[in-house]
Parts: sequence; C-alpha cells; structure tokens
Amino acid sequence: MITIKVILIVILLIILRAFLVQKSLILVKRAVAVLMFAGLLFLVLFPDVSTWAANRIGVGRGVDLLFYFAHLFFLLVAVSLWRRLITLTAAVTHLSREIAIKNAVRPEEGVKKSRPAED
Amino acid sequence: MTEPTIWVIIPAYNEGRVLADVIGELLDYNRSYHLVVIDDGSTDNTSLIARECAVHLLVHPMNLGQGAALATGIDYALRQRADIIVTFDADGQMRPADIGSLVDVVINEGVDVALGSRFLTAQPEKMPAIRKMVLKFATVFTRLTTGLKITDTHNGMRAFRADALRKFNITQNEMAHASEILSEITRNKLTYREVPVTIRYTEYSKGKGQSVSNAINILFELFSRGTK
Repeated sequence: MITIKVILIVILLIILRAFLVQKSLILVKRAVAVLMFAGLLFLVLFPDVSTWAANRIGVGRGVDLLFYFAHLFFLLVAVSLWRRLITLTAAVTHLSREIAIKNAVRPEEGVKKSRPAED
Repeated sequence: MTEPTIWVIIPAYNEGRVLADVIGELLDYNRSYHLVVIDDGSTDNTSLIARECAVHLLVHPMNLGQGAALATGIDYALRQRADIIVTFDADGQMRPADIGSLVDVVINEGVDVALGSRFLTAQPEKMPAIRKMVLKFATVFTRLTTGLKITDTHNGMRAFRADALRKFNITQNEMAHASEILSEITRNKLTYREVPVTIRYTEYSKGKGQSVSNAINILFELFSRGTK
C-alpha cells in the first residue's frame, strides 16, 4: 500500500508545482489550489477518512465516493472550458472580420492580369 | 430613383480550381454586380486568383467557417451601402441567371428576402438520393423550429434587402448558419418568398459540398447555440 501512496503524492506535487509556477496567478487562486491539494494529500495518506465519509452518505467505498466527485468535477471543468471556448471563438471571429474588412482589396486595386489559362 | 446596387457575397475556402470560372460567369451575366469574395483562410491559391479578378477581396487570417465568411461579406457590403445583398457559392453549383430572378422578386414584389429552392422546379438535377432524404428531414426540422414553410432549408442562394439584413445577427461560424438565417427571418418578422433555382451537381461540387454525416454536426451546433 505504500508504493501507490508514494506515486500519488509525487504526481500530486508535480501538478501543484506546475500550477503554482504561473507568475500571473492571483493569491486567492494559489491559496485555493494549495488547500485543494492539501485535501487530496490528506486523503491519500489517510484513505480510511474517505471510506468513513462515504459510509455516512450511503456509498460503499471511499474510492467510489472520490470517483463520483471527480466525475462531477471534470464535467464542470469541461463545461466551463467549453463556454470559454465559445467566447474566445466569438472574439477571434470579430477580430478576423475587422482585419479582413480593413485590408479589403477593391476591384480596381487588384493585380490586373489576363486570366490564367485553365488546364 | 437610382438603380439599386446589388452585391454578391461569395465565401470561398480552397476554391482556387473553379473560382475564376465562377467569377467570370457572374460578370458575364451582369457586369454591374459588385462581387465580394471572402477567402476563408484557404491554403490554396484562392486569394491570388481572386486578386486578379474584378472583385472585392476580403481575407480571413484563419479558417472560420462558411457562416463566418458570409457574415464578414455581409458586414462589408452593408458598410459599402449595398441595397440588395445576394449570397452565392464559390464552387460552381449555382447559376448566375438565378440571381436575376431572386433580385427581381425582392425589387418587384417588395419582400425582404428571396430564398432559392431546388425543389420548386419539376425535378432537381441529378441529386443523390441520400442527400435528398437528409434535406427533406432538414425541412421538417425547420418547420418545427422556426415555423417557416419552405421547401429547401439549406440552399445557399438568397437575396436580401439590405435594411432587413442589418437586423440580422449571425453567430454560427460553421454550417448551421443556414438554419440560423431562417430563424432570424422569423425573429425579425421579415417577409420572404421562395424562388426556384437550379443547382448543378458536378463531380467537383459533390466532393466539396456538405457530406451527409455533417447534418449531425449542424444539429449539434444548433443545440449548443441555445446554451450561450
């Protein structure tokens, strides 16, 4: 049981570090991240706690409880990323449109050549 | 009253092979048309070809989809004070002569929008059976969602009175814009009429056109619109 704990803890710490090295991150987000990872570390070290909590609310095993919550969490992440993607796409479209219109080539400005021969 | 100016919007994505012919055919039909080609981030020579023709050329810095390209062209034409705006495909499927009949309906019958339909003529030219089925389904779907009683929902040939188009809000970048345009007609309570047009199913256009499976993508795009 020790091996899996070491693996999980190492991976958790690597992810936490990758998150915290972003210089632009505001303090509140850093604090939330640290708390969240502390919670996860705690559950890795003392898995019985999650089983105890699971039993309270009618779930058999602690891992199952975590599995459900992880699922919901990633759904939330997917939805919020998707929404952000829609906003971003709208912004990119708007920008592209303005660039295209600003750089419009009018008929009289185009390169006047005889039409290329078709094969 | 002066003659209304007619602007034809032609979104083009990798149409370098046929674009010069399509433009040539349009200009042969009517020299007074103002043509706007939107190169939607093509990776071929679409822009180079268009630059050599007597057209307004707008280039998207990246590929955004046909809906976005149409919206860009419409935006541009409105800023140029177009009176009537026509949407036209760059793949050579459409006949320039049909523009004339759509524009006539808008000018002479005073409707806001004239919509091209493949199904008003006796028999559409050599349309693949599965395509016909998908389009029929789209018609029923459109009747249910927009209340518009039209026979051909995904026909790219349309003519709009410019002041009607100013009320439009086209947000669908990809192919669902065709349905979106129809819901905008309902939302803005515009008057419309369908006009028979002929679509030429060439080998080239069959390869370029909508694949049948894309109908599912269009449905998905439409549903996700509601969640914004």
